[in-house]
Amino acid sequence: MEKYEKLEKVGEGTYGKVYKAKDKSTGQLVALKKTRLEMDEEGVPPTALREVSLLQMLSQSLYVVRLLCVEHADNRKDASKPPKPVLYLVFEYLDTDLKKFIDSHRKGPNPRPLTPSLIRIFLYQLCKGVAHCHSHGVLHRDLKPQNLLLDKERGILKIADLGLGRAFTVPLKSYTHEIVTLWYRAPEVLLGSTHYSTGVDMWSVGCIFAEMVRKQALFPGDSEFQQLLHIFRLLGTPTEKQWPGVSTLRDWHVYPQWEPQNLARAVPSLGGDGVELLSKMLKYDPAERISAKAALEHPYFDSLDKSQF
Amino acid sequence: MEFDLTDPLTLSFQEEHQSDTDIADLFASEADHMHSRNFFSRLKNSDSYVSFRSEAISLVLQAQFSCDFDPFISYLAINYMDRYLVSKQEIPRDEEGFIFDAKTVHKMELLILDALSWRMRSITPFSFFAFFMSFFELNDHPLTQALKDRASEIIFSSQSDMKFSEFKPSVIAASALLSASHELFPLQFPSFNASISDCQYVKRENLIKCFNQMQEMVAMMQVYSSNCETFSSTKTPMSVLERNKLASSESENSSTVTSTTQCDTIISEKEDNKRRMDVMREGGFVNKPSFLESVNYPYWKARMKAFIKVIDENA
Repeated sequence: MEKYEKLEKVGEGTYGKVYKAKDKSTGQLVALKKTRLEMDEEGVPPTALREVSLLQMLSQSLYVVRLLCVEHADNRKDASKPPKPVLYLVFEYLDTDLKKFIDSHRKGPNPRPLTPSLIRIFLYQLCKGVAHCHSHGVLHRDLKPQNLLLDKERGILKIADLGLGRAFTVPLKSYTHEIVTLWYRAPEVLLGSTHYSTGVDMWSVGCIFAEMVRKQALFPGDSEFQQLLHIFRLLGTPTEKQWPGVSTLRDWHVYPQWEPQNLARAVPSLGGDGVELLSKMLKYDPAERISAKAALEHPYFDSLDKSQF
Repeated sequence: MEFDLTDPLTLSFQEEHQSDTDIADLFASEADHMHSRNFFSRLKNSDSYVSFRSEAISLVLQAQFSCDFDPFISYLAINYMDRYLVSKQEIPRDEEGFIFDAKTVHKMELLILDALSWRMRSITPFSFFAFFMSFFELNDHPLTQALKDRASEIIFSSQSDMKFSEFKPSVIAASALLSASHELFPLQFPSFNASISDCQYVKRENLIKCFNQMQEMVAMMQVYSSNCETFSSTKTPMSVLERNKLASSESENSSTVTSTTQCDTIISEKEDNKRRMDVMREGGFVNKPSFLESVNYPYWKARMKAFIKVIDENA
């Protein structure tokens, strides 16, 4: 790890600390993601091997943050104890993310909307990246604006913090026990469904799409219960007819009956095609929710020159 | 997620067929997983390296047979080994030689992972099976399976031969499938050959070169197995895989050498109801080293030692 000079801690990711660092020989900026490597008697656990090699494979896409290399080190804080093996995942460094970008358009000296063409380009790239992960059998499970990094010069959006789902712990509570945001969480996850699939990511994509248009979160709940109420108030309380099996989910209760509101009113500056795509991303029944691949073909993107992607 | 060699990018997760962009990705990324050609062409001519690699391969195969592993596991292990050797990393040792305690083995594991950049989803010839099989337009499932099985055997055999290290995995896959189809469906072979040769991703001259070498290898294998058939009382020709299966089921018993035939093979017979045969394949000439075969490692080792000694004396 002597190759890198740690510059500053830039965050506490779900799985560990993240540092901004510099490659001493090339001067290239990188993001170092530190994770504990729980060695067992058999050596490196197969789960860790699988996850890291999957990340290696997924980061071949332009729309997924590039994993440059993997370094391991033995951290010894206390000389009397055996060293703890840690793994550093070395990613390309991008200095801004979609959350910061939206914030800069909402507040500050020059509040302004994100242009419709920029929203379209970002959403298209997001769907491309999600489609790439899904086609390789990987769910992200925690898509949110903070996890979408931006290369402002090249106008590229990249998915970060890809699920190290099994090798490392499931992100219920983050590494520092701060509550993981629930705003982008799909209703089936909130209702305690154990069998969820690619639809959970598409729900998050829908929430992020709406947030780019509104410059604020679509469903800003502060507890799981509040989160569900936010969703139900806009989209109506789900019924068995709309979503077969919903009332048998583990955390289903009797909720107040709300009628669905007009979705277009929540995203007033979005055109008809956009609202139609958004409504397909926010379908209650995960089986009915549009897939990332199908979303790329939606008429909303017809005005986009797709050859550039 | 389990690693399936035929699907390193786990593309079959959602879709039945690989899309064009996925195929293009696969061909684009195979170069990343190639052994450096210069390195191997230098090593190919180094006797000490060739015998070192053969010994390592024999250890891997021994583990395969004694633990009854899937042959794909050995294939992948040897692939990792080749990739490690290309990285030119030293193997940890002290004054007394290599160290085998648990701690060092754990360290070695990390060393290997580092050398391979933790890219454990190697792209191998098997990754291209699905793509090339689509050229064959075989609707019959048993035929498809027979073709794949035979091509897999050929690929397993080719791995121990350094000659093939210069070819891309896709070229090896295409050649093995063509060789297998040449054997199994000679009538349809010309049309398979034409359609695979026209494939935009495959360089024609490399394909021809690899295919010819593979045909030579297959012919050698057949010469030895047919000679042995003539000289032995058993009449069942056995494929490499069948022999492997036997080897694994018999690994408990020690094999006894009963006779040496003219074609320089050793036939070991078992006091078993089933007729079984084990064949030692070797280079037919004094100036060629023995072929390494699964259970015959001690015999092979002795032969190799003698062979190397002869070279030393001649030098």
